[in-house]
Amino acid sequence: MIEFRNLHKSFGREEVLRGVDLVVHEGETLALLGPSGTGKSVLLKHAIGLLEPDEGDVVVDGVSISKATPEELRRVRQRVGYVFQNAALFDSLTVFENLRLALEGEEERRPLNELREEAKELLARVNLDADVLDMYPSELSGGMRKRVGVARAIASRPRYLLYDEPTTGLDPVNAQNIDSLIMELREQLGVTGIVVTHDLESAFQVADRVALLHEGRVRASGTPEEILASEDPIVARFVRRGRIQPAVPV
Amino acid sequence: MGAAPPFIRFGDPVVRVRRGRRRGPKRPAPGYGKESRTAGRAVPRSSGVPRGEHKKARFEHHQGNVKTATNAAAVPFTLGPVRKWLDEVGRAALMAWAILRILPKPRRYVAAAIQHGYVIGIRSLPLVLVMAGLGGAVTSQQTGAQFTGSLPMWVIGSVAAASVITELGPLLTAIVLIGRVGASIAAELATMRVTEQIDALQAMGRDPVAHLIVPRVVAGALVTPPLVIIANAMALVTALVVGVLVVDGLTVADFVYGMRFYFRPFSLIFSAIKGFFFGLAITYLACYIGINGRGGAEGVGRTTTAAVVATTLALMIVDVVLVPLLKMW
Repeated sequence: MIEFRNLHKSFGREEVLRGVDLVVHEGETLALLGPSGTGKSVLLKHAIGLLEPDEGDVVVDGVSISKATPEELRRVRQRVGYVFQNAALFDSLTVFENLRLALEGEEERRPLNELREEAKELLARVNLDADVLDMYPSELSGGMRKRVGVARAIASRPRYLLYDEPTTGLDPVNAQNIDSLIMELREQLGVTGIVVTHDLESAFQVADRVALLHEGRVRASGTPEEILASEDPIVARFVRRGRIQPAVPV
Repeated sequence: MGAAPPFIRFGDPVVRVRRGRRRGPKRPAPGYGKESRTAGRAVPRSSGVPRGEHKKARFEHHQGNVKTATNAAAVPFTLGPVRKWLDEVGRAALMAWAILRILPKPRRYVAAAIQHGYVIGIRSLPLVLVMAGLGGAVTSQQTGAQFTGSLPMWVIGSVAAASVITELGPLLTAIVLIGRVGASIAAELATMRVTEQIDALQAMGRDPVAHLIVPRVVAGALVTPPLVIIANAMALVTALVVGVLVVDGLTVADFVYGMRFYFRPFSLIFSAIKGFFFGLAITYLACYIGINGRGGAEGVGRTTTAAVVATTLALMIVDVVLVPLLKMW
């Protein structure tokens, strides 16, 4: 379980998070919605201690991220896979070397053949051929890079998967593929997920529960149906603007 | 131990503040600053409230009765830059401490350090040789022009050896490394920072210091001394050849006699020591500035420029500080 407790975060004078309280339950996939610049990615980064809150805390499986020792934080991070917005693959390394970093421990050295086999399995899981193993990230398309990013995130067999804008910058077909992949991984690996997105179609498709972040706080949280039916003017406005209905000929 | 991991502290954004303290103003401080001139004033001056009430409100504010912030705007103007500078020094010291903690665990960085050593050493060698060769050629010509007719010819050998070994060799090598290695390290790490690659490394439970910084710093510190010795040799050879060809009356025997007359083994060791500190300063500063880079492409450019300026300045400071060391022997 991941708990965000009264989380505050400012950058300079700009208050991005103003007291976020949110619980992500075991096994569910939560879509975190909100307009750009409302702190969705900032919130996600707090979950694994990439950012430190000004006030409040994040608790992952009972471990307070703010108070965790380096060793505790390392163990938490091994339980959490993080898919970055632009995949954040190491561009000086091949796909295999990127995956190897996630497969091997810090001081662990494993046989190369074994690692390559595991890397191939990971790529197969995200529907990529083993041919890309020796390619550099710059040689891959945006969709393939995202998939490799997902493969790297699941390499440590995490309990939690955090997706930061997984479909941003992708064409509708690739975006749909990534959505399907998120759902497949939830079924196959049974992971708990948080999907940060402003793509409503994607959010309502992959999530069990949706939370809307507005002005640094959680404005609404519920099932996709509850959010769609919400009478809160801000929620309704966001949801309606995002789901443009096709024009009906008169 | 309740402290946050030091290895992520230095590389995180500068806006990071101490835990438990709010940064942005939640409520305006009564009677202070811009907020006090707005509707947010707790005790408006125009309300007819006696002056003593304003003082009371301020007192309560200082006592913490009114929840407020300790933001940068509250710090007097003159203290802002000092605080920022102290902050930078503290973060740089934290990075140094993080490096020292990893040094006793060579398994974590040796392989990468060898790769970086190859890039810093072997790939920089051609440019180092060219720079050193030109430096040596200039030294013997200048010395010849200054001393011909006034001092014995062998003095040219002594002056060339002294200036090359103690100053020119290490400095020219370091200048090449600033341009080739320092700028490249800063740009690479800044790009990794802005494209979230460093965040990705941390997200995988990996230590960016062990992966990115220690190998570069170790390689820089260990590879630069041999580079300096090679540069010295190259500079002396060209000084000899160009001197004999250009300076009237200078013979090979004169030059070699002058060189041997000056030479003390410690001067060579001193040259290598300089190389060690130059290599350390260049890679350490480039790593520190690079890993704290932010912004997009423009930010990477700014970071690279800052790294080149800072390492050049640091180089001269280290050079000045090391001179007394030579005098001790």
